[in-house]
Amino acid sequence: MVVEFWGQEFKVNTILGCIGGFLIAITSSMFGFGGGPFMVPLMTVGLGLPMYVVVGSSLLAIFFNTVMGTIRHYQFGNFDFLFFLIMFPAAILAGFIAPQIAKRVSPIWVKRVAVVGLLILAFSLLGLF
Amino acid sequence: MKRYWLAVIIALSATVFMMYQNGAFAAKPKEPITAEAKTEESKIEASTEGITAQLDKTSLNNGGKITITGKAPEGKPVYIEIWSDEKVRASRFDSELDKETGKRPYIFYITQEMPAYYKLFVPQDFKETLEKEKKEGRKWSVSKVLRDTGAAAVYSAPAKIKIDRYQTSLFASVIGSRGELLSQMDAGENRRRSMQLVKARFRDLPKVFSADVLVEPDGTFKAEINIREGLAPGKYNVVAAVDKDTKAQPLTFTNNISFPTMYLSNAGTSLNIFLPFLLVLGVATFGVLMGAGGGFIINPLLVSLWPLPHTIVAGTVMPTVLFSQGSGIFNYSKIKFIHWKLGVTIGLAMVLGGFIGPKLTELITLDQYKFVFGIILIILAALMFWQTTPGYLDKNKKEQAILKEFQKRAKESAEKKKSS
Repeated sequence: MVVEFWGQEFKVNTILGCIGGFLIAITSSMFGFGGGPFMVPLMTVGLGLPMYVVVGSSLLAIFFNTVMGTIRHYQFGNFDFLFFLIMFPAAILAGFIAPQIAKRVSPIWVKRVAVVGLLILAFSLLGLF
Repeated sequence: MKRYWLAVIIALSATVFMMYQNGAFAAKPKEPITAEAKTEESKIEASTEGITAQLDKTSLNNGGKITITGKAPEGKPVYIEIWSDEKVRASRFDSELDKETGKRPYIFYITQEMPAYYKLFVPQDFKETLEKEKKEGRKWSVSKVLRDTGAAAVYSAPAKIKIDRYQTSLFASVIGSRGELLSQMDAGENRRRSMQLVKARFRDLPKVFSADVLVEPDGTFKAEINIREGLAPGKYNVVAAVDKDTKAQPLTFTNNISFPTMYLSNAGTSLNIFLPFLLVLGVATFGVLMGAGGGFIINPLLVSLWPLPHTIVAGTVMPTVLFSQGSGIFNYSKIKFIHWKLGVTIGLAMVLGGFIGPKLTELITLDQYKFVFGIILIILAALMFWQTTPGYLDKNKKEQAILKEFQKRAKESAEKKKSS
């Protein structure tokens, strides 16, 4: 597929994009997280697209997955409405707070902290300590 | 272009076909209304013969201690069964190798009627037996404990729950179906399977069995029972029994919870609602900062901190990002920053994945969920680390500059259009 975006053309391997997106969607809907951090590398590294094409389009692709995943989880009775009401305002509020903090912290340090935090969480989930 | 639209139409019709196949739009499975019949049944069973029991309280506030005293025939062990009226769902996927036939059954058992709280208290003499079973770790089995403690005849509340079973297959999983609904099991089989579901639901042995009943030689017994925090509110039933035919009149007490503690009826857990609120607020803020949704950190924390089923956590966290994703798409589309054809093409592949994924959630146990999640987090951590390496940062700097430039141009052209 040829992607034309703001006057530039890119050749994209559609099959790789679809297979990758499919696998990411299965895992993300199965475990209930957003697929963003995996979709962006897939589209930049795997499909060779520049960041400015990826930001909006990957969000659109993930949105499809989130809508379908939500419907399916609801059908299987995995949705607790009260629990949702507790978490939803917190998630929205976080969307307003985060940009305020983002101006004051270095993104590299946030990522470094995240690497350490994620590894600790991962090892405790794997039962290593 | 023609080929593209053809692919879109094929993908869409395949999705609709799958939905239809799975009966997604069909009526929900009918709830059996047998509650009345059941209470009558239990009344008949509870004919008092030589065993009496009393409770010292009639209500508890989010758990607490309650004492049961009574008198049973001399020299007999006394068992106390307690269960809540509140019901939750429990499910189990049986894929263990059957020793007799040498095949894997791949049967999925699910019930909507598992008591949100169930516990069997056995005489204190069995303390060591329980300790020994606990050493089995994850492999402990309800039926073995029941046999070893002599409580098998007393196990009754979960034995009659309605259990549906589905024959799953790889094909059924691929089309996102639970599989073929098998015929109802007979009473004995239902009882046996209910024990496995009890374990699937409560997981740990101390949550189902406890050696707390002190029986004196003259037949009087006393049990100080600790009802833990965070359980379902409402009516709890208490039955003291010696064996199948000798049961005391059922007693009841109520467990009250008050704000800010609330009961999540699908998850079967009560919790202080401010704790998950603050947790999600903190984690989601950090998630936005690090550029990955909060779900990666929230989900494992929620299943580790509270006794919440992973199915509920996955299914409830997912929709919370719908709104932010939707508004993000809206904002990008206003400045024409979305390549619709690319997004929709990959999106269609993702729709198929999103169709299958939630089905697989209920096939895995909490331990498997945690294990795979751990591996996913390591991959994510590696990705994050890669994003802090100098090479990536260099490239990213240029890309961000281009991104900003394009966004500026896009905004300008969008404004121009508006003013003209």
